[in-house]
Parts: sequence; C-alpha cells; structure tokens
Amino acid sequence: MEISIKQLQHLYMQGTPFERRALHNVTLHIADGTFFALIGHTGSGKSTLIQHLNGLLKPSSGSVQLGETLIKAGGKKQNLKPLRRKAGIVFQYPEHQLFEETVEKDIMFGPMNFGVSESEAKNIASNVIEMVGLPQTVLSKSPFDLSGGQMRRVAIAGVLAMNPEVLILDEPTAGLDPAGRVEIMDLFYRLHQTNHLTTVLVTHSMEDASKYADEIAVMHKGELYLHGNPSQIFSQREALQKVGLDIPETVQFLLKWNELSGQNLSLHEFTIEELAKRISETLKKRGN
Amino acid sequence: MLQNVIIGQYYPAESPLHKMDSRSKLIAAFVYLFIVFLANNWLTYGILTVFTVFTITASKVPMRFLYKGLKPILILVVFTMLLHIFLTKEGDLLYKAGWLEIYEGGVKQGIFIAMRLLLLVMMTSLLTLTTTPIDITDGLEHLLGPLKKWKLPVHEFALMMSISLRFIPTLLQETEKIMKAQMARGADFTTGSLKERAKAFVPLLVPLFVSSFKRAEELALAMEARGYRGGEGRTRLRALEWNKRDSIAIVLLALLTIFLILLRS
Repeated sequence: MEISIKQLQHLYMQGTPFERRALHNVTLHIADGTFFALIGHTGSGKSTLIQHLNGLLKPSSGSVQLGETLIKAGGKKQNLKPLRRKAGIVFQYPEHQLFEETVEKDIMFGPMNFGVSESEAKNIASNVIEMVGLPQTVLSKSPFDLSGGQMRRVAIAGVLAMNPEVLILDEPTAGLDPAGRVEIMDLFYRLHQTNHLTTVLVTHSMEDASKYADEIAVMHKGELYLHGNPSQIFSQREALQKVGLDIPETVQFLLKWNELSGQNLSLHEFTIEELAKRISETLKKRGN
Repeated sequence: MLQNVIIGQYYPAESPLHKMDSRSKLIAAFVYLFIVFLANNWLTYGILTVFTVFTITASKVPMRFLYKGLKPILILVVFTMLLHIFLTKEGDLLYKAGWLEIYEGGVKQGIFIAMRLLLLVMMTSLLTLTTTPIDITDGLEHLLGPLKKWKLPVHEFALMMSISLRFIPTLLQETEKIMKAQMARGADFTTGSLKERAKAFVPLLVPLFVSSFKRAEELALAMEARGYRGGEGRTRLRALEWNKRDSIAIVLLALLTIFLILLRS
C-alpha cells in the first residue's frame, strides 16, 4: 500500500506549558512494496511519525494518506478500524502488550477484533506461530511463562495474525541477543518479500538499514534530514556524522580498503557477502 | 489522550508561591480547608473569594489551566447547587410552578455551597500546581516528624507517598503505550455497552499490573543495591528553608481567619 505524508507537523500536549514539537514539516512518499528504513536518534520523532501511519496520533497540521484512507489535521472523526487492520504496528518491546491466559488466545485477539470467526482465528494462530519459528506446543502455554525472546515472537505473531499489508516495525530487535536479532530481521524480510508488504522499519542500526532497506530516511529533531536510497545516504558520511550517526561498517571497511589499496571499488549492495565477493574478485585479478 | 488530568501535576513557573517553603504551603492549605467553612454570608464569601483570586494571580498559573482541572468536578458542583436550590425551603418564595417551589434561602444556600466547593478545589489544586511532589512529601515528613516519638513510621509513609507520586506519570505513559498497542490490534476502548467497555480494559490492565510488579521489584533491588536503610540519620540534598515570605503568608492567613470569624453572621 502506498504511503504519502504531506507537511506533517505534530505537537505534543498542545496548549500547555509542556507543549513540545515532535514533528515539523515532514513530507515523504513511500511507494507500494518498499522496504523503508527510518533512522535517527532517540527523540528525533521516528516513533511519533509511525504512530500517524495508522491513526493512533492525529496530525496537528498536514496530512497522512495510506492507500484510500486520508487522515488530515482537523479532519472529521472516521472509523479507523479498516486502516488499523491493514497497517500492523510492532511496537518497541511488544512483549509488554501480552495479556491473555494462553498464547493462542493472545494471538487471536487481533483477528477477532477485526471480525474473524473463532475457528478461523485458531487456524491463523497455528499458522503464524510457525511463521515466527515457535513450535505448536507453545500455543497452549501462558505467555508469561515464556522466555523474553519467545514472548517477543508471540507478540510479533499477534500482529502478523491480522495479515497486514503495511508492516510498521519500531525497533523490533531492541534487547535481543545477536542471534535472535538476525533471525527476527530475516523473518520480517522474508515476509516482506513473500507477502509483498510495504515495510517501515524504525531502527538505530545502520547495519540493519543497509542490509534490508530499499530506501532510507534520516530524522533529526523532528525533521526529515536525509532521504534517498542506501548508496545516496551512505555517500554523505559527513552529514550523517553531524547528527551523531555513521555509515555502516561494511561501507567504512570499503572506504578504508580503497584508501589503502588505491583501488576504487564502488558498492551497490551493502552486505558482507557482496563486499567479500568484490574484494576476492579484485584479488584474483591481481593474482592473474 | 490522558492529558487533562491535572491532579498532582506541577506547573513550572517563577512566582512567589512557587518559591514558598512547602511546609508553609501545606499548613496554609490545611488551615484553608477549615476556614472555608467559617464563611456563611455574602461578605465573608466575598473576602474568601478575593483572597483566593489574589493567591491564584500570585501563583502565575493561568486560569485556563486551572479550569481544565476543575472540569471533572463541575458536574458535582452544579448538581449540589441545584439540589440546594430546589430542596431548601427558607426565606421568601421566589418562584412557584406546580410542585416546584424556589425559595430565596435555597438560592443563597446553593450559591454558597457551589462557591465553597470551587474555592476548596482551586486552593488544593494550587498546592500541587505550585509545589513539586518531592517538595510536598519532604514538607509532610517534616511536619509529621514529631509523630515519630510515638513510633509512627513517618519516613516510610513519606517515602511511599513520593514513590507513588513519582510513578503516576510513568504509569500514565505506560497506560498510553499499551492502549496504543492494543488499539493497533483493533481494541476499542470508547464504544460499546458498559459491559463490553469493562471487558475491553482487561487487555490494558493485565499488562499494566505485570509491568508495575516488575518495576516495584526492580526499584526495591536498586534501592537495596545503593544501601538504602530507611530514614535514620539520612541527610538531604535540598534542605527546606523557611523564609520571610512564608511567615508573611501565614500572617496573612491568620488575618483572613480573624476577619472571617469577626464578620460571619
């Protein structure tokens, strides 16, 4: 689903001495099927921005459009349920939202709120639990008996169960161990491709952004600071460093390699595999 | 979403009221609670209102902000006022339509009761609006200090209070966060029958309880790790300081009390 944000501004606690501007003049277009990464420091407005994408927050001025649904400042109250089903948000530490007696019931909560029958919801639950890499036996357990990593997966399953067209991920791997991080991110990437989702990933990690994203936007102090595809973003190292960010390690390595070897390799893919392949190619050439 | 709750909310500003010692403010608010009941005619209510308006102006808290906190109790005020107007049968008959009779005494009584309630709520919210929760508990601990002689756990009491006050905003934030997460999964907190709405709160309350218990445990652990052993021999980073303005405030309040006693009928 296409996402189009126009001159979005958001003020928290408007009209009180605690008023704070969280977003200012953000205009952004995300094409259908894009894996979009949103990077920025704490307090840069990333989380505020994504909460506009399914109507949890209303713009103070400007507008947000997802597919057919248009949410604009001062607009009429509208039924946001259809939008919320289509745009699933995995919040930071989603395991905090678990509440049911069993994992199965918790996963069924979302679909049943959107009018899916109980038996159908049970089917969905047993499907998504496999998707997130947990065994069927977990379904009958209490979510509070699981380990932190398992709880995270159950919570993610609860969002996937709604079968969203847009998947919004707010630092989904925060607090996980390195192996868990890779597994969860690979899971999202697989889903993104097989289900033709539009994915918005909020992250601190340039590595994750470089590995998965088609497009990257950098937020700074509530404004859109940089926007482009990964190679455009990573070619602006100084601009990134100015706001306390840096290019991913693979790109850093490449720059250093070029500097020391006198070669001029350019990168289009930013994965370790791609980088290793390029370097071994040049080494082989030299060997010949 | 939960932005309209001002009970226990501090309004930062530079005003004589903000600079006052929390003990004098606590004493003043406490005394005020009683002297409001001294007023019983137009003159005494007038004096009380002038005093209250003066205090509000001095506090630099905008009326708009105070009004937001008054909103929830406004219904109660209007309701009690109407009750008094319709049910008190004293003085001259002003209006009669069928069984409905309105007497002069009833109108007077209704207005007085409404004023009394409004003045009380305004003054007490002014206390929390101009004093940080930490200062309030510090002040309370000092004022209740003498009770330690009778083995009353004053320090523990104050600590409990400051911890709960400290965590009100955290809890509100947490509530909002979980509410949003469940709303994103299609939960609906605002429509449906009363039973449905009560049921809709389960997905909100369970996670809140779980995280509150977890937080309490972590806090206890963190306090123990830093060697917390209760109030015995504990010194303060910010000592309370009784200034001239505090004495002036108390004197003003005493004068007000004397006037009220002399002028009440």
